Amino acid sequence: MYSIIVVPPPTTERDRFRPDAARFRLAPGERLAFGRSESGNELAIAHEGVSRKAGEITAQGTFWTLSNLSSHQTYVVENPEGAGEHIKVAPGRLDAPIPFEFSRIVLPAAGDLLPVEVWAPRHDYLRSPEGLDGTTTAPAFSVDRTKRYFAVLAALCEPRLRGEPHAPLPTVDQVVERLRPNWQAASRTSVQWNIDYLAVKLRLKPGPETADTGPRLNGKKESLVSLALRFDLVREDDLIVLLAPTRREAR
Amino acid sequence: MTEAYAVAVPKGYRVGPWEVRAPIATGAFGSVYEARRHEAGRHETRRTGPHEGLPRSAALKFLPTGTGTPRQLAHLRELTERELELHRRLKRPRLIRMYEALTVDDPDHPELDGATVLVLERAEDSLAGLLARSPHPPHGPALLAQICEGLAQLHDAGWVHGDLKPANVLLMEDGSARLADFNMAAELEGTHAYTPAFSTPDYTPPEMLWSEIGERGRQTRPSADVWAFGVLAHLVLTDTFPLPGGTPSARRDAAVRYARGTDELRLSPGLPDGWREIVRTCLARTHTERISGEELLRQVEAVAGTGRSPRLPRVRVRRGRRTAVVMGAAVAAVAVSVLGYGISTWADGASDDGGGSAGNAGTRSVTAAPYGAADLRTDRGIPSAYRLLIVETAHDCDQGDVTPSLIAAMLKVESNFDPDLSDPDKDEYGIARWTPSVLRWWMHEDGTPGESVPKPPFPPAESIPAMGRYLCWIAPRLDAELPGDRRVLIAAAYRTSYAKVNDAGGVPPKYRSYTDRVVHHLKEYTPPGKK
Repeated sequence: MYSIIVVPPPTTERDRFRPDAARFRLAPGERLAFGRSESGNELAIAHEGVSRKAGEITAQGTFWTLSNLSSHQTYVVENPEGAGEHIKVAPGRLDAPIPFEFSRIVLPAAGDLLPVEVWAPRHDYLRSPEGLDGTTTAPAFSVDRTKRYFAVLAALCEPRLRGEPHAPLPTVDQVVERLRPNWQAASRTSVQWNIDYLAVKLRLKPGPETADTGPRLNGKKESLVSLALRFDLVREDDLIVLLAPTRREAR
Repeated sequence: MTEAYAVAVPKGYRVGPWEVRAPIATGAFGSVYEARRHEAGRHETRRTGPHEGLPRSAALKFLPTGTGTPRQLAHLRELTERELELHRRLKRPRLIRMYEALTVDDPDHPELDGATVLVLERAEDSLAGLLARSPHPPHGPALLAQICEGLAQLHDAGWVHGDLKPANVLLMEDGSARLADFNMAAELEGTHAYTPAFSTPDYTPPEMLWSEIGERGRQTRPSADVWAFGVLAHLVLTDTFPLPGGTPSARRDAAVRYARGTDELRLSPGLPDGWREIVRTCLARTHTERISGEELLRQVEAVAGTGRSPRLPRVRVRRGRRTAVVMGAAVAAVAVSVLGYGISTWADGASDDGGGSAGNAGTRSVTAAPYGAADLRTDRGIPSAYRLLIVETAHDCDQGDVTPSLIAAMLKVESNFDPDLSDPDKDEYGIARWTPSVLRWWMHEDGTPGESVPKPPFPPAESIPAMGRYLCWIAPRLDAELPGDRRVLIAAAYRTSYAKVNDAGGVPPKYRSYTDRVVHHLKEYTPPGKK
């Protein structure tokens, strides 16, 4: 029942190939302390420039708060999809609320910038004009149609939405090509990242194939598309996100 | 009614013999209108239900399933099918009744063309309407007993409601309550069912709030309805939600904290004695700790002071095998809560009479022995303690070759049904001879691997379902061309791996003596005429 995922800065080869193994999943109310010291920090960041007790991340339901425990450094929390949108958290500030769905905490560490990513995949979005109501039957998914993951999902669903129910899914390279006009920086890695994030966001049940091969999700794209089409997360008129130029500039 | 209607139908609109009158209510998917019956039907509707015995007035529920409607939605058709399916298969006194189902054929109104229309029993009000007008109604306990009776009738028949809340409880002219709105209803497949990924936040049990979702939707169980009943009872009796918070998301977070064990449940002090314990057992942290629908009904009737409802005829309905298992009255024994399963599923063949016949009341006893006699012989020494587990495990798998007799034969060969088997040399433990590092991948019902390698002992209640999940995964991975009995191939793959069996083009020689013994017991355990 986690609501926040913290992705530490990649340090080893193992992390690159088993990204899941290194992630921290926090349920509402849970805290994650980070800093240079191995003791007292769940997330140890072995870098001289980081304070021994650098800070704390606390999950608060759908959003999270950041405490800056360092004595001199200001932390910057960026919204990587927000065209430079960011929040500064001054030294000593406790429990500063962070509103982004994706965030990157940049720790200024002796010239290096160490990114700690935090995802808040449970953000809710308005579904009907009547507003929030705990007594209305609502879909279990809430997606933000302005985010890149939605464009990736739309590109994956496109052939089937255009009337070929059994069309083969586009490859990651084809998705990159499809998205490039609106998203200059699209790459295999960034598209694959968004596919992985969608699997988390849509709470895709890992298939039993994972038993043999560890974290590799065979048919992850296939499962995402069938889920999205079954629950109408992407409809034909949503394909417009593939055509209209986005206002955001690629970072 | 401030919200926009999902389907706008003009007053006076004709559908078959029905003339639409005033709007009654709208939900997220469809809208309900009052309607009056005319003698002469019109030609532009296709009737898909029986035509006799229609009342003078009814409630028409319009679901916009047409191909020409602007909001043509795939999931809506699925939700509509669920509701139709339930109404067609199930008539019970505490469930709202469907008289017929119609399809609108009206190209001049593209927004209505193709809509499915359910002609339903007309109610006076909903529980939501009553609570809005008069919070804590004096006859709340009696209403709750009737709602609970409706739930028990659904669960008995092998269905989960999936969206119990005040708006889906209708109040009839005589003031009695009936359950309605079966868009989320799902038929149980073993211990659980699959429901579309929709829910009403304030009534959703914590384990389903952010649960994983597979391609068939997400798993639900009767215990999800029991949780919703606990919330609803608290609301009816105290006019507050049981979990604190001023907004649905605050209450959802409170539910998560409670389920994680970081918060205690603090029920309203206004909750009458007697109800406190009932609401608490409905709102148990995990689904396994929650009270069963049937036991809940007994307790609710006792505290509400209403009479005991008649025993229901029991029906067993399962995926792939739609016929009820028909048993003579003498053996229609009910296995209640054997091995922690709260679901009792015995048939006497009455699947859709008007319900409520009490004729079978005297034949129920708590005997596990003949459980699943149609699938597994009762006279061949299979320990009765494991019958329910074996039969339920096999039924949880949609692969026809994973049968109760296969699982029983394999357990016989693996361990001779010894739950305490311990073979450290081979690193195999328990009734199914699980190797800990392999069990890890199959130990969880939701398909996720264990966080660490489990340590023996592995009790049968864990070993057998895990074995079923593994067999169910193996079955479709064996090459279709392999010669021989698929069940035997599956058994061999359990001992080695499906890849080895595929590579060998059948049972590898090394495992022949194992499979020979499985074949022997498979024959022995399979009832005559069964596969």
